[in-house]
Amino acid sequence: MDIFLQQIVNGLTIGSLYALVALGYTMVYGVMKLINFAHGDLVALSAFAGLTVYTNIFADGGTSIIAVITVFMFTAAIIAVVGVLLERLAYRPLRTAPRLSAVVSALGAGLVIQNAIMLIWGPNMKIFPSDLFPSTIYEINGVVITFTQLMILIFSSVLMIALYLFINKTKMGTAIRAVAIDQDAAKLMGINVNKIIMIIFIIGSALGAVAGLFIGIYYRGITFDMGWMYGLNAFVAAIIGGIGNIPGAMFGGLMLGLFNALISGYISSAWAETFTFMLLIVVLIFRPTGILGEKVAEKV
Amino acid sequence: MNKTSIISIGFIAVMSVFPFFADSAWLAVGITFLVFSVVAFSQDIILGRAGAFHMGHAAFFGLGAYTTAILNTHYGWPILATWAPAVIIPVVVALITTAPIIHLRGDYLLVTTIGINIIFLQILENDLFGITGGPNGIFGIDVVKLFGYEFFDQIDMYYMALILLGITLFIMKTLDGSKFGRAMFYINKDDVAAQSMGINIRYYKLYAFAIGAGLAGAAGSMFAVQYSAVSPEAFDVLQSIMFFTIVLVGGSASLPGVLLGTFVMFVLPEIFREFETARYLIFGLAMILTMILRPRGIWPVKFGNIPAFLKKGKK
Repeated sequence: MDIFLQQIVNGLTIGSLYALVALGYTMVYGVMKLINFAHGDLVALSAFAGLTVYTNIFADGGTSIIAVITVFMFTAAIIAVVGVLLERLAYRPLRTAPRLSAVVSALGAGLVIQNAIMLIWGPNMKIFPSDLFPSTIYEINGVVITFTQLMILIFSSVLMIALYLFINKTKMGTAIRAVAIDQDAAKLMGINVNKIIMIIFIIGSALGAVAGLFIGIYYRGITFDMGWMYGLNAFVAAIIGGIGNIPGAMFGGLMLGLFNALISGYISSAWAETFTFMLLIVVLIFRPTGILGEKVAEKV
Repeated sequence: MNKTSIISIGFIAVMSVFPFFADSAWLAVGITFLVFSVVAFSQDIILGRAGAFHMGHAAFFGLGAYTTAILNTHYGWPILATWAPAVIIPVVVALITTAPIIHLRGDYLLVTTIGINIIFLQILENDLFGITGGPNGIFGIDVVKLFGYEFFDQIDMYYMALILLGITLFIMKTLDGSKFGRAMFYINKDDVAAQSMGINIRYYKLYAFAIGAGLAGAAGSMFAVQYSAVSPEAFDVLQSIMFFTIVLVGGSASLPGVLLGTFVMFVLPEIFREFETARYLIFGLAMILTMILRPRGIWPVKFGNIPAFLKKGKK
């Protein structure tokens, strides 16, 4: 029972990270109908950029709450700028092109970011400092939860609730939903579609950046090519939840995190991805548009 | 004699005499080019013609390679005898794995086919049946032997691969005018209209996967013999992405396009090997630029609105 509860805690932690990354995928997909294959690499870039920001600005050790907040804000801003540039340079010229052309462009962009990371930071694994968060451990009935895990759970919940309110309660959020439903009609209603897409890339990339930093802090070791696997898992999570659907991405992320943790705990982590994709296939056989996805026919 | 035939005869002539001018390093590149273009054509049947977003083709390619490797090293089959299973097993596996997901639309199919590739890879790496050699793969695959003659030379390999490409091109040409090819054409253009004309989309898409997997398996078998070894990382998702990209960068459903795509995506990086580390950065930039400048590929197929086989006075 202890192992089970422990895996639940671990699963929710990983699941929150998946959910943060999945939100970036699902928002871009919802509006542009494009799998942003470069998104996972943005997450990896964030971990490396955050590491550099931290070691350069706070090299003298003093870890304060201000230092951590600065690292997060600064890194998120950098990644948001990269995300906007990505959309401008690689996706906007292809908005009217056949869908698969944009997919190839996204794959190319992912390759560029991944190899840029390798050229800048080198091909070897980098280790995140362990002193960003205090190493306090809480133990409740034999279930261990670290301070980092607690921060991940709290911080990602806050971000997700904030995003949910932003999308559903604000004027800007309404505009985003309108663009997702019908770009042309939204344009006729006076919505600046380019601006909305830019905002989506800012939010999505910033959320991915937060996830990337947490991945660095939680797992410590970061590699230039790690973005692909996190990205793929997060994308699968977005599909399981129902792509284009924001609560769906959160739900899918948490569900996949829990599923992965239980598979790793009870079967074997060597088969984790096999089970992930089997889950995906089973979900899609019964719910072709994901668990929370609406039943809509593809636009002709 | 039209332009297409002149180009094809020119291509075949150049490819036939290539080994006499190439050193062994370039000959190896040439063989891999031939093998990869066969795989690219098989990907094109599924992606470019049937219009199924398929990004797991390295699994079928690898299945062919591993079939030959396992039957040869573990069970002592001669390479020639493994050719048939190296085609049949990928076909069967493709049918079993894609049948439940063939109805998925666009991007959903794309992600599940990536999944097929990843599951295949994990089976290889975790050595599920104890015959795949785990992460190291299998070494010491035999050469092709026929009537006591051993085709161990690189030039022999090259011509075998060229013959395989010739067979593939013949199949591709035949497809265009066949019932299957016409059905594919309509499904790709407009699947709702095709369905209302009585075309069974599910059947033809599975058919496309079966042919594609079979050809990829044949190429995989040749790939295994060329390197006399197979290992999992040659068949990972990156490889699938490469085949996927070859078709779209070259021009989907276009024979010269796919050949050109293979050349651009595979041979050019070999030429720029000196740049070593920055190679894939440039490669990625080139992918973006190509798509922006030529969204339908470098050498797109010229369909009028009326396909050639419907025009009067042409056979």
